[in-house]
Amino acid sequence: MAIALERSAVGARRAKRHRVWQRVGHVMTYLGLFAALVFFLGPFFWIVTTSLKGNEDFFAFPPVWIPAEPSLKHYVALFTRSSGARYFMNSLVLSTLSMISALVVSLPTAYSIARWRFGGGLLSIFLLVLRMLPAIALIIPIYIVYKLLGITNNYLALIVIYTVLYIPFAVWLLVGFLRDFPVEIEEAAMIDGCSRLRALVQVVVPIIAPGMAVVALFAFIATWNEFLFAIVLTGIETKTMMVLVTSFTSGGTDMFYGEASASVVLGVLPAFAVAFMLQRYLVKGLALGGTKG
Amino acid sequence: MRIPALGLKRKQWEPLAFASPSMALIAFVIVFPLAYSFYLSFQNFDLSVGPEYEFVGAKNYAEALFRDERFMGSVWNTALLIAPSLILELLLGLGIALLLSRVLRGRPIITALLVIPSMVSPVMAAMAWRMMYGVKYGAINNLGRQLGILDVYFDWFSSPLVSIIAVVLVEVWHNTPFMMLVLLAGLQSIPTELYEAARADGAGPWQRFWSITLPLLKFTMAVGVMIRLIDLTKLFGLIFVLTYGGPGGSTETVAFTTYLMGFKDFRMSYAAALSYVIVGGVLLLTLVFMWIQRVRETRAAA
Repeated sequence: MAIALERSAVGARRAKRHRVWQRVGHVMTYLGLFAALVFFLGPFFWIVTTSLKGNEDFFAFPPVWIPAEPSLKHYVALFTRSSGARYFMNSLVLSTLSMISALVVSLPTAYSIARWRFGGGLLSIFLLVLRMLPAIALIIPIYIVYKLLGITNNYLALIVIYTVLYIPFAVWLLVGFLRDFPVEIEEAAMIDGCSRLRALVQVVVPIIAPGMAVVALFAFIATWNEFLFAIVLTGIETKTMMVLVTSFTSGGTDMFYGEASASVVLGVLPAFAVAFMLQRYLVKGLALGGTKG
Repeated sequence: MRIPALGLKRKQWEPLAFASPSMALIAFVIVFPLAYSFYLSFQNFDLSVGPEYEFVGAKNYAEALFRDERFMGSVWNTALLIAPSLILELLLGLGIALLLSRVLRGRPIITALLVIPSMVSPVMAAMAWRMMYGVKYGAINNLGRQLGILDVYFDWFSSPLVSIIAVVLVEVWHNTPFMMLVLLAGLQSIPTELYEAARADGAGPWQRFWSITLPLLKFTMAVGVMIRLIDLTKLFGLIFVLTYGGPGGSTETVAFTTYLMGFKDFRMSYAAALSYVIVGGVLLLTLVFMWIQRVRETRAAA
């Protein structure tokens, strides 16, 4: 009896100690994550506040971390003085069109692989090779050919490249979505007299639309973020945001902070949107270079 | 429907027809340029000299591998940037993934927030940090001065060593979230029964980490490191914006040197040869890595 009582007392003390340690562990976990959030999001916070500062705030000491009178005048300057509006539109249009064309071209290929095992296992090897291939190995010959054909500084020529760069990734993701799709539904449509292409467009596409949206968003951000092809192949009219932002570095270490920070804010905007929309697919997308182009 | 001229039945031509648009595009935009570039790497095509060129054999490759000190230096620089970045990304990514796996409420939102740096383009990441490193207006110098840690406006890109550290910090900021995501997925695939059984046997948290988490996470870690390693050999945008290879070429990576060779010096043939040396190097690196993995696996099995 006495032993049993003592045992339960020890047990209770142990359980209490355990609970205290658990509480401490919880606090440490959240503190650690808070520190991580500060490190990873701090730069964004600083860039946004900097883009809203007045010019006199840049020189102030002690430094102004949050401007007392936030203003959008750097954005206005970026859009007018640095033709930012044009380059922002360029990025938007290029990314949208490349996204659409990559989807249109990749869907039938993915279908062919998912339904008929086209190409056997070659595709996965090909994907791996393309994933490893440094873009610098492609840009040299492409630049020479484009120069010869006189199609540098041309939207369409750029869209063709971005489309192709994105095909392997899009095909790979779409094959996965198509394999999950029941064959019976499209076969039923084809028995009713649908051609295969029509069955694909009118029956399959509406159902796998959410999957296609995932591919589309990754394609969009990949083109939006692409830099090497953009800096080599664009001219005054066709520059993208990525190229525009580098032009601010010519001012040395201290440059046009206002306009530079405004252009960074606009340049990272899609990343914020996509990070939240694509959560479930981020591992796949990032592993296959879905955001790098 | 039949295509009589080819003697193909519908069953045979239809898969090909569906796949052909993308096949054709890949042939034109990837396969053909790569072949052309391989051909060029054996010529002496130099746009700053003129449009004519002739066959020079393996001269470009010999120069790249044995005489070009700048390229050799860039190989060294790239390795110097890769090694600390990989180690830090792995450790930091693992740490944050472990923290995240303990969180029950709000995990999706915290993960999404932490992942944002990885979604941003290298150019934008570098630009944000270049401004943070700014001598007079930068956040780092200003914060340091306000807190009394710094008493001068420090130039973060004045010496090679400090520049390399500065670049590594940005790279770690940019890509640790990716490592974290991969490792978090790996952690979540470890069955919880294992931990419960270990706890019942009286294993402490450290023991559980060393004998369950780490061994079962090894493969995921290897995959994550491999992907980052391959991507780091392509390091370009970050360098372009942060340092432009400086000071004194100390942060020139292989991709950046090749870019300068092609689009500043216009030695197209030589740049093509360099790009093939890089491709070969990456291939070799991948094979060595896979070989090490296999050796360790067989050793573990034995």
